[in-house]
Amino acid sequence: MNKITQAFPRLQSAGFKRPLAAYRLVQAAILISLFWKWKFFLQADSIYANIPVEDPFFPDWLRSVTTIRLAFWGSALATSISLVTPVNLLQKFCSWFGFLGISLMCIHQGSYNDMTFVTIWWCCLWSVWLAHRLETGQQELLIRRAAFLSRLIISLILLGGAAGKWTPEYWSGEVLFDIYFVDRDFWVFNYLRDNYEPKELQEIAKWYSRQTVVVETVSGIGLWILPARWAALVGTIILSGIVIMSNQYLLSVVGCLIGLACVGFLVPRRTHPTVVTAHPSTENSTAN
Amino acid sequence: MVDLNDASPSDNEQKNGEQQRDLGFCCIVAFIGLIAVWLLLMPWIPGIAKQSLQRFHLRTPSFSVWAAQFPIPSMYNFANQYKVEQYPPGFVMMILDESWRYANHFPTRVITFFAGRYNFLSSKQDRWFTLKSSYRGQVLESKFHLEAQAEGGYKLIRIDEIEESL
Repeated sequence: MNKITQAFPRLQSAGFKRPLAAYRLVQAAILISLFWKWKFFLQADSIYANIPVEDPFFPDWLRSVTTIRLAFWGSALATSISLVTPVNLLQKFCSWFGFLGISLMCIHQGSYNDMTFVTIWWCCLWSVWLAHRLETGQQELLIRRAAFLSRLIISLILLGGAAGKWTPEYWSGEVLFDIYFVDRDFWVFNYLRDNYEPKELQEIAKWYSRQTVVVETVSGIGLWILPARWAALVGTIILSGIVIMSNQYLLSVVGCLIGLACVGFLVPRRTHPTVVTAHPSTENSTAN
Repeated sequence: MVDLNDASPSDNEQKNGEQQRDLGFCCIVAFIGLIAVWLLLMPWIPGIAKQSLQRFHLRTPSFSVWAAQFPIPSMYNFANQYKVEQYPPGFVMMILDESWRYANHFPTRVITFFAGRYNFLSSKQDRWFTLKSSYRGQVLESKFHLEAQAEGGYKLIRIDEIEESL
């Protein structure tokens, strides 16, 4: 990590803007999240068109297949433009457009329950905020704030997961046993089913569930307090762990958050007075 | 290791220019703080858990109040169970599947979302869904009748006899 950090001042002097890099990194991560379950969304589209469910709870237009198609493709297109365009006005416009499209996905009958869109929504909110500040003269302050917001958002999302699990059914492992251990086709659970008896599986599920509750609780409460690069490292490990140990489809939920977590790696080390005194020439390069 | 001032400007920026005030940054931080307080109080304030359980069953009194809660993250929240039957609840006949299964969040997904909609509603026959969510002693049970329509698709009818202990 030190070598990477030392390389940043050289990159900055060559025109590398950390906030812009962070912005593009998150747009790319949003696109990964959106398209990770691409086949799944294609099938969903066909099912929604063929089996409409009339529920007066949702306004008609938030049950419509056309709305969900426009919201999805509009957000994907806007995010793609945000990723590549060098024009700040376009970045701002596309960030707002993506934000509004994903907001619709979060309340549409066909997608409200998919946490992919909630995590993407938080990344879009962060993107809107950053897009309006990309041309500031205080680039270092901006990347520090961007990283702070990113770990605050990740903490909140993990806290949201934890708070709903502070209940006996999760502490006993009963819920995750039924969802994952009984019949989920994923390497961890296939391996466990092949090698352990049902009684033993219940015991494993209990500790698996408790581990999840504890990790989400601790990181939900404490991740945002860590320094930027430590938070980035810990956040990336935890979020990747969720995918590796639970379900590959969860990459659509946490993929954008992993991108958001990585923003912390772009924060430069603070300059220390002792270093400035000993090597005056380093001061300017590390502060930029 | 802890650095609470990590979002503050560097020494150079403090020396060379005034610190930019950022209202948008403060608003987002405040918004996150508000949601965090809501989540942290959920185990101790039954009203908050009740709101969240109703949100999960699409039973919030108004759609706008329900929609306003979407930013609150709720992955794998509560013990949500569902049961799907071919006949109305209480009907003395062979039941398709007596067993309850768990759903990760928003148990109404078994009716509205991709896989559930396909698995349970592609037969073009009526179905009855019973959903039960519990959180630290609070339980919300909802029953839905999915009535097959002649022109295709289904009509969702909320069954009035709802047992709950909120």
